[in-house]
Amino acid sequence: MNRFAIRCAAGLSVPFLLVACSSAPSSTGSTGSDAQVTITVGDRPSSSDAANRASFDKRVADFEKANPDIKLNPVETIWDATTFQAQAAGGQLPDVLNVPFTEPQGLIARKQVADLTKVLKDDGLMSELNPNVLKIAQDQSGNVFAVPTAAYSVGLVYNRELFTKAGLDPNKPPTTWDEVRQDAKQIAQKTGQAGYAQMTTNNTGGWMFATQTYAFGGSIENEDGSQATFNDGPSKDALQLLHDMKWVDKSMGQAVLYDIDGISKAFAAGKIGMFMSAPDAYRTLVNVNGLKSSAFGIGPMPQQGGDHGTLSGGSVQIVSPNATDAEKTAAIKWIKFNYLNKYVNQDAAVTSAKAGVAGKLPVGTPGLPVVAADQWATYQGWIKPYVNVPLDQFAPYTKVAADQKIIPEPPVKAQEVYAALDPVVQTVLGNAKADIPALLTKAAGTVNAKLGR
Amino acid sequence: MLFALPVLLVFVVFSWGPIVKGLVMSVQQTNLIDPVKWVGLENFRYVLSDPGVGQAALNTIWFTLLALLFGFPVPVLLAMFLSELRGRSWLYSTLAYLPVITPPVVAILLWRFFYDPSPSGMFNTILGTVGLGPYPWLDSPSSAMPSIVLEATWAGAGNAVIIYLAALTSVRADLYEAAELDGAGVVRRVWHVMLPHLRGVLLLMLLLQVIGTMQLFTEPLLFTGGGPQGSTMTILLLIYNYAFVNGDYGAATALSVLLALALAVLSAVFQFATRGWSTE
Repeated sequence: MNRFAIRCAAGLSVPFLLVACSSAPSSTGSTGSDAQVTITVGDRPSSSDAANRASFDKRVADFEKANPDIKLNPVETIWDATTFQAQAAGGQLPDVLNVPFTEPQGLIARKQVADLTKVLKDDGLMSELNPNVLKIAQDQSGNVFAVPTAAYSVGLVYNRELFTKAGLDPNKPPTTWDEVRQDAKQIAQKTGQAGYAQMTTNNTGGWMFATQTYAFGGSIENEDGSQATFNDGPSKDALQLLHDMKWVDKSMGQAVLYDIDGISKAFAAGKIGMFMSAPDAYRTLVNVNGLKSSAFGIGPMPQQGGDHGTLSGGSVQIVSPNATDAEKTAAIKWIKFNYLNKYVNQDAAVTSAKAGVAGKLPVGTPGLPVVAADQWATYQGWIKPYVNVPLDQFAPYTKVAADQKIIPEPPVKAQEVYAALDPVVQTVLGNAKADIPALLTKAAGTVNAKLGR
Repeated sequence: MLFALPVLLVFVVFSWGPIVKGLVMSVQQTNLIDPVKWVGLENFRYVLSDPGVGQAALNTIWFTLLALLFGFPVPVLLAMFLSELRGRSWLYSTLAYLPVITPPVVAILLWRFFYDPSPSGMFNTILGTVGLGPYPWLDSPSSAMPSIVLEATWAGAGNAVIIYLAALTSVRADLYEAAELDGAGVVRRVWHVMLPHLRGVLLLMLLLQVIGTMQLFTEPLLFTGGGPQGSTMTILLLIYNYAFVNGDYGAATALSVLLALALAVLSAVFQFATRGWSTE
């Protein structure tokens, strides 16, 4: 019964193990007697990724040379909810860590990130950042807890080859949900593959449902996050559309359970015509899962009954809540140097783009500006010669995305809300007789109980 | 005493310490960084009022029952079959044990591929040749849990087979010979000679299986994420979600304590009820 023993260890004791090594919180950085600050910085590429590791290490060395009073301790830690919590319990969090857009609000609510408002203001970086994107890292009183370093808005990724096979124009992705339905049906009929698919598991079901609800003009929570607001017309319409695509048109294939990994694999294998994702999916689909670059296409988030907006995605840098003021200042300097300098300094932009090309990473993937718009345009000019992604295929997205309204995630307990919405989407896609209003009423009850805690 | 010290230390630091700390955390609210807040039984109240907990408990019991019904007899039968084989039995035991060596993550990713619900999925293609299917496997609330039981039985049977085989080797060969001379067939030999010898081991394995299956975690996490429609959400996966998705360690430890209590009660009842059975 070894596996059972392993399960016991992995499962029952998971929360216990967390605290096994817990001790009084201690900062990972330290301030030496000669006022030298040492900070631990995460996201160093692993040794199996030699080219990117070398380039990262060079940036560390360059930074230390330019800032003799700061010493960096680079570690390979990357964002992972489980290790993050264990490290928080053990007082071992890196001082700087890259986390996805879905996380900052939860971390802010749990006070697991440092408040950077003062250091950002002192540094002057606050005024350089795009205020729309910065919202993702702010609490309700406007304090800033993270620095956005890459931003995208969710759009509609589509397979250009399947579009062509189905007799659709690969340069004209659908821009309304009625068109999505029509195109999905045509793809399913002409190619036998799923015309459209949607993520449903591990909270991605609620996440994408929120995006879709936004595009239908609805919302998930009220402004102060005290009440669920999705039990209304736009959400019902969104679910009804999914239901009809799945059961009337039969354009969504058989599979219901998809997380981000599963849907990426299925899409790269040519089994899916369209799904909601951001332009940074290019890397996952092409570089990781082997989709032909010529088959990748992305359009803006389809809208329904007006121009409502879409959800954002991307990365922010967070600083350990244990960091001292000196360490926070050093952390901001490193974040600027490593992630943001390229947007304001031509040499840094060119060096970073060249390193990206050498490391076989996509360079020039369109996204939302994390710095002010004119600076962003200048940056695009600097890296133009090194761009290695097919910008034409991003054109339908880029033409619209810059002006499309960005709607942030639900303000309170987004992940718990998404978890409560996963089964709603799964039921609609798994049961032809799903009672949509009843499902939404039940989910709203669950969500309200969670928001009340 | 000095020799026992390292073992004792390991137990205190890695087993008992965390258990005690877990008990303490279940009455606290903490973000693991700031000083904790004592909240009394609030975490337990919250957990017990979460409608997800009831469903997860039912799902967990459903899995345990299915695993007992299908997963428990399979290794017993396999072990009996293997012990009856003359020659090359090492080969068959190795084959039976192989799935145990496969890391669970790898096995589950493979099975997820087998369970592809489209007509071109592996199982569906095979069954299609005899006119069956296509079946939704993991993608339907009614078949998701049985699909997980199938994989878990495949993955876990090897361990139990080895233990039963070891128990069977202790059965004296002359007992079989005597039974055979008395004209007993295979079924009667199994019933009157093998099973009585296995009784103690069977009862222990039954208890271990119930405790183990009540803690089902890896399979739903990797196969279905608890879906479809919450049909494979188990108590342990819920604990994991409380802790690592919601960051609510108070609720996670409170539910862990409740599960541990339920298992302790179950074990005690089991021991009491079977006190007379395991001795010959």
